[in-house]
Amino acid sequence: MEGEIEQRLSVSLKKVLREQGILDGKIRYVVPTDMNTGGEYADGYVIVTEKRLIAALQPPDKTKVQIFKGYRKQVQAEDMHWAYRSLPLNEIEEIHVEDCIGCNLLVVKAAEEEHTWAVFSNFHKRRMTYLARNLGEYLHSGTFRAEEVETEEYCPKCGRMYPNPHNKLCPHCVSHKSVFYRIIGYFRPYRMKMAVMMLCILASAALNLVWPYLNGTILYDYVLKKDDAFLEKVGINDGKYLVALFLVVLAMFLSKLVLLGAQIIQGIVSAQMVINVVRDMKKDIFRKMGELSISFYRNRQTGNLMTRVMSDADRVTGFFVDDAPYILVHVSTVVCSVIVMLLINWQMALLAVALFPFLLIFNILLRPRIWVAFGKRHRAESSLNHCVHDSLSGARVVKAFGQEEEEIERFFKCSNRLRRTEEVISYWQNFFHLFFNGAQELALVGVWGLGAILILRGAEGMNLGTLITFAGYVGQLQGPMRAFSQISQKWADSMNSAERMFEIMDAVPEVQEPSQSISLPVPKGELTLRHVTFGYEVNRAVLKDINLHIPAGSVIGIVGKSGVGKSTLVNLISRMYDTQEGVILLDGVDIKRLSFGELRRNVALVSQETFVFQGTIAENIAYSNPEAPLQDIINAAKLAGAHEFIMRMQDGYETMIGASGKGLSGGEKQRISIARAILANPRILILDEATASVDTETERLIQHSLNYLVQGRTTISIAHRLSTLREADYLFVVDNGRIAEQGTYEELVKKHGIFYKLLELQEKALAMKGLED
Amino acid sequence: MRRREVPGKGKPIGEPGEFDLEQMEKETEEMLKTFYLNKKNAEFSRTKGGFLSLKLEEQFYPRVNVVRMFPFREMERYLSIRTADERSKEIGVVKDIWDVDSETRNMLREQLKLRYFTPVITKVISIKSEFGYSYWEVVTNQGACRFTVRMGGNAILHLSETRILIMDIDENRFEISDVEKLTASERRKLDLFL
Ligand SMILES: Nc1ncnc2c1ncn2[C@@H]1O[C@H](COP(=O)(O)OP(=O)(O)O)[C@@H](O)[C@H]1O
Ligand SMILES: [Mg+2]
Repeated sequence: MEGEIEQRLSVSLKKVLREQGILDGKIRYVVPTDMNTGGEYADGYVIVTEKRLIAALQPPDKTKVQIFKGYRKQVQAEDMHWAYRSLPLNEIEEIHVEDCIGCNLLVVKAAEEEHTWAVFSNFHKRRMTYLARNLGEYLHSGTFRAEEVETEEYCPKCGRMYPNPHNKLCPHCVSHKSVFYRIIGYFRPYRMKMAVMMLCILASAALNLVWPYLNGTILYDYVLKKDDAFLEKVGINDGKYLVALFLVVLAMFLSKLVLLGAQIIQGIVSAQMVINVVRDMKKDIFRKMGELSISFYRNRQTGNLMTRVMSDADRVTGFFVDDAPYILVHVSTVVCSVIVMLLINWQMALLAVALFPFLLIFNILLRPRIWVAFGKRHRAESSLNHCVHDSLSGARVVKAFGQEEEEIERFFKCSNRLRRTEEVISYWQNFFHLFFNGAQELALVGVWGLGAILILRGAEGMNLGTLITFAGYVGQLQGPMRAFSQISQKWADSMNSAERMFEIMDAVPEVQEPSQSISLPVPKGELTLRHVTFGYEVNRAVLKDINLHIPAGSVIGIVGKSGVGKSTLVNLISRMYDTQEGVILLDGVDIKRLSFGELRRNVALVSQETFVFQGTIAENIAYSNPEAPLQDIINAAKLAGAHEFIMRMQDGYETMIGASGKGLSGGEKQRISIARAILANPRILILDEATASVDTETERLIQHSLNYLVQGRTTISIAHRLSTLREADYLFVVDNGRIAEQGTYEELVKKHGIFYKLLELQEKALAMKGLED
Repeated sequence: MRRREVPGKGKPIGEPGEFDLEQMEKETEEMLKTFYLNKKNAEFSRTKGGFLSLKLEEQFYPRVNVVRMFPFREMERYLSIRTADERSKEIGVVKDIWDVDSETRNMLREQLKLRYFTPVITKVISIKSEFGYSYWEVVTNQGACRFTVRMGGNAILHLSETRILIMDIDENRFEISDVEKLTASERRKLDLFL
């Protein structure tokens, strides 16, 4: 173990420190650093031995490449110029990591003064935080805690970073299934339809191939030229030219008819298939989004997600339905046509295909640009969606501040951006089209010219019919050409969307359900938090080392100023997020080991952001259990103090609310949310300022009714009005991300601490309001 | 009118203990006011530990932090001088770095340089995207850097039309101060993020 820690140290530094006799005692912790106090990159280490704390630093060297997470650290040239300083452990009074914006400081307090001991980027922050915490613990307890086991974060095979270091799946090495095959997978259920479609396509292709032969060589050279030898071969004797003509025309007519039929069938079948495939994809994206954690949504704009659900699936299928099936046809058409042309006249054939290689090179060269253009369109589309979403959901604020014009301006800007990106795309489309078409026309002119010369010279086997046939085959190339001119764009469009689609499908939820969950046969509702630390951003802990115990069946109040992390705390309990450090135990079991179903059954959270779905009030209350007996719904509503106002509505419990229904006041929505949670009948009920918009009288009523509920139920209540917490068994006061005070209401009042002060202020405020009103 | 609003904010300051309406008024008055520091009333000095201390009239603060109020727009104006404890209270504001003497100016700049350390990208060598991450190799004013950015999130912040802030997966910050100063081929590499 020790050897392993020592190995992390650079050899030259070890030598220097050994020579100076500073590296005495066992090495306990080693953490690299990457900055100096002057605000430059410089390699260094913080080392803890059993006797001292050492910081070693090299002079800054701008020629070194600074490596951050995601790239594997490379061995770099060793430098002998180590500057170091050390401090005996017993002189350390306090040690902690401090977050600045662009760096972190390891701050050591010694001799009553704080010192910047080391500077480092966020890359080393986690390990340094452990070092500081472990060393701090050592200073109190005198024992060193073992280092945290580092999880390997990079795939040993290809060196890529695991998206989730806990389940060690390298997207590159594990899923060999490329994007392409995964998309094909969506078409698999519709094999039959695919087969029919391919059949139709092949039939049309074959017919297309014989067409020039029919209307060129046969019609002109054999029938109209009255070629008896040929006619006899097909069984028409005695110069019945009209019969022959009739047969040729009939064949031409029939082939066109079959062609039309095949195309119609193919159109119908492919339309059906696309609708289904798109629906399947959308379903998968939507389902996956449901599985993802809250933090996923926090990091993304709603507009962006909407774009992904709504348009990406459509785009993905575009290429696979409109283009992919024809590739084979086009390629075979080209190959066959070229072969036939070569057979007819090789000089003319070469002329016809002379420009092909250029087109190909051209296509490959321009691919990255097209790719970017589609990426840009996606982003413009997302931001337009976001803009609409934003301004619609904030309609009230927009109106209240009279900002309609500005919103229109903002919308206009976004849609202009989308227009510009669309312009770029259609520019490329036209460009490609022109280029390919131009090449084609050029080839055709060349062929006619060369053909005419050959005929004038009386070249062997060359006459008008052959030339028409030949030109027909060159014309055959037109379809494939047009397709090839579009294919790279369609492909880019499709793959671009597919990548985004699969990014969501492959996203790993941060909060994960355990593979083997433990169930609680008789849930009691006892909660314990041990050393819980959490922050939304890496460098800003909102909760720091929270320890608390909530006995089963108790009523707990959590108090604190706004923004101290009360909601965060209860979000952790209901596992909207996972703790960064520490554990949360429900009846002694780590909540990370419970299945989501089990956890949600036992913990219900009424958050301060209320939400009512579109539907009746009864449906909204019975959200967690649509089969709930009406009696229970009424009971829940009564306990939530909602019954009266519901009954004052025209349709009672069947009143439509939500998007298209009747509007509810903030307090009414809150009461419905509470009723929803009560009906879910959880062991632990969490109310996060759930009564903030309710009048004082109703709030009292709800608090009172909670007392009915508490039989064997744990209630955690974050209350806006402190006086309503009078009946709580125990209160925790959160301040600065820590539990600052705890005790019963009376104890806290007597203590004259933070709680007392909050209470005093609030009562004064109420009193003053009374005076002025 | 203000009387009504102030207590509702519920942000007590100072030591807990007995208090009356008057003290409360005083505290809230203090909270509403902005106290400007300049060369006349404030005396900054460096501490041995690499921080700043502040002597303000009779008060002495052994360690203070310098925080930008508008870190992107106003690099040297509206600097909030705050106590260094966890609850970090504002002592005063340096409205403009030119309000203090040159030695103090240097001290403040040193602090800002370290706290707001953000390498400025001068050259983009390559940007490769796969599996939801993009891998950047760049040259900055602090030397060459390689870092990784999560795609599809809010890792790229547009501070203005031409200025962008990039956050890697550990939330280390990098800045491109003017996209237009990059070469056309560098811009093309960046195109996906603009
Ligand atoms: N989704 C979020 N992302 C980033 N920061 C957040 C988020 N939610 C809350 N915070 C921050 O965490 C802190 C605590 O917030 P919260 O727990 O909601 O406070 P409160 O005690 O008022 O309920 C606040 O400083 C807030 O800015
Ligand atoms: Mg809250």
